[in-house]
Formats: sequence, C-alpha cells, structure tokens
Amino acid sequence: MSRFVIVTATALGLALGAAGSAQAADPKEVYDFYCAQCHGVKGDGKGINVTKDFSTDPRDFTNAAEMAKRSDEDIKAVIRDGGPAISKSPLMPPWGATLTAAEVDGQLAYIRKLCKCKAQ
Amino acid sequence: MRLLAVTVSLGAALLVTMTAPSYAAGGDAIFKKSCAGCHYTDGPAKEKTIADQLAKKGPELWYAGSKFQKDWLVAWLQAPKPIRPLKYNSLTDKNPGDHPKMSAGDADAVTEFLMGLTSPEVKAGVIKANNNVQGRNTFTKKMPCGGCHEYSLKGVVLGGKSGPSLVGASKRLNPDWIYAFLAKTKVFKPVRDMPDFTGALNPKDMESVAAYVAAFE
Repeated sequence: MSRFVIVTATALGLALGAAGSAQAADPKEVYDFYCAQCHGVKGDGKGINVTKDFSTDPRDFTNAAEMAKRSDEDIKAVIRDGGPAISKSPLMPPWGATLTAAEVDGQLAYIRKLCKCKAQ
Repeated sequence: MRLLAVTVSLGAALLVTMTAPSYAAGGDAIFKKSCAGCHYTDGPAKEKTIADQLAKKGPELWYAGSKFQKDWLVAWLQAPKPIRPLKYNSLTDKNPGDHPKMSAGDADAVTEFLMGLTSPEVKAGVIKANNNVQGRNTFTKKMPCGGCHEYSLKGVVLGGKSGPSLVGASKRLNPDWIYAFLAKTKVFKPVRDMPDFTGALNPKDMESVAAYVAAFE
C-alpha cells in the first residue's frame, strides 16, 4: 500500500514538475531572436532590417532620455499589440500571441537595462 | 565459350551499375544521404524553444509538398539561389549562397520525395493568387510585411533582410500554404522570429494577404 502511495506520489510530482517547467525564456535570448532584427543587437535601433525602405526609425533603447519618457505600461503595450497601440508605426508588429506575459515582462526589464533608465 | 558469355554478361551488368544515373535511387535515399544533415522531414514540428530553432542548420521540410511548387523546386535544386538574404538563423552574416547543387536526375527524385510530404493542415485549392486591394493594404500598411521581407515593386527590390525573400513567391510558394503559415503558426513553425498574427489579423485578412503575396513576381 505504502509502495503504491509512493509510486503514485512520485508520478504525480513528476507530472506537476513537467507542467511547471514551462518557464519564460531568457530575456536576452528572446530579445536577440525577436527584437534585434529591427532594434539591433545592441538595442541602438540599427537592426539588419533598417534599410532605406524602412519608413521609421526603430526605437533606440540606449537613448535614456527618450526611453525615460515611456511608461512601463506603454512599452509592454507596444510589445504586445504593436506600434499603433501607442500611435506609433505599424512596422512594430504585435508580439502578444508569440510571447508569454512573463516574456513581455522580461523584455521590459531588458529594455530598461539597455537604457539604464526608469520611467519618469 | 560459356565462360566468355558469363564474363560478358557480368561485365555488362557491372557497366550498367556503374553508369546508371543516380535518379535510379529513390529520392528519399538521396535526401537521407545528401540533405538530412541540415533538413528534417519527419513532422510534426520539433522546435519547442529558441535554442531548438537556433540549433537547426536549415529549414524543416516535413511539409515541403504543401509549401513549394513542384516546377520551382526541381529547378531550384539544380541551380539554388539564396532565398534568405542572410545566412540561416543569422542576423549578421550574408547568405553565402553555398547550397549544394543536384544533377537533374537527383533533383527529379528528391522533388518527388519532397512533394509527397504534405500536411493535412493545408487545405488545397482555397487561396488563389490575386493582386487584391485588401491584401495590399495589409501587406503595406496594416502589418507591413516588407519590414522584414524583400519584395519587388515594378522591378525594384524593396524591404527588410531578416525574413525569406518574397520576390518570385508566385513561382515558389503554394498560395494555400501561405495562408496556413499565417493562420496556423503553432503547427508549422512554433518558434519563429515572425509574429504570430492570431488576433491581430482576422481570417479574411490572412486570406487576402496570402493571395496578394502569392501573386508576387
């Protein structure tokens, strides 16, 4: 009986562990994969897609003065819903169906690290 | 005399074996030997994390028969040209254009094999290539796809570099696959650096932009 309980409890624990292992990916890894193509690996807005045909300048995350003007909620809204969410360019697409809420939070934290700034 | 006949027969058989064009081999065998090091063909999608995607050396091909047009594929395998401006999985290195070339026979055989790899998630014959206004509006304004994808406008190539080029999509891609790729992200490419547009584009938007892209020269 006790052996059955142990086996069952172990199996349940493993199952719960597996279900709970879906953690948010590393913020830098997420940034480099999804964001750097336009915002640049260094966050300076000079990504590989920014050619002469790119009709707007992607946000320079290293510009502390400009980034401080953006609230945390605005930044998260843009990541989730795209530029038009705060009346900016649709060239910033919506990532809300791609990233988890935790990954969006991670990007906010990473962007704040790049600008070395907080919202004013 | 009998010995001579046997010798001649053996010699002829050997000659046939040695000079037999490689298309005598099955496309799956050729693929396994020459292509499987970079491309996997046993779906469904295996990638679960960014690291999984970055570990790949080339695109997955388990739905190749739903994605590509046969005539384009057989020609491309014999004279491959870069589809992505950048090297696979890189945001810095230019595509070296070093994809191996195949003989006509091998290209025929491998194309037969790849065109058999279809997905039931792609409904055939629904999307027709069409330079339509709604699709153009989505492509150029609502969700400017040209931010990441090259395309041709009146013979001039415009657009970003990180995604596969859409120049010549009318010859390369199956219109129904373009729609499925937009509508069923999790099925075809669960980890990709292109957004999942679910919720941002409705099915009609996706149909019209798929038809629009499918008409690209």
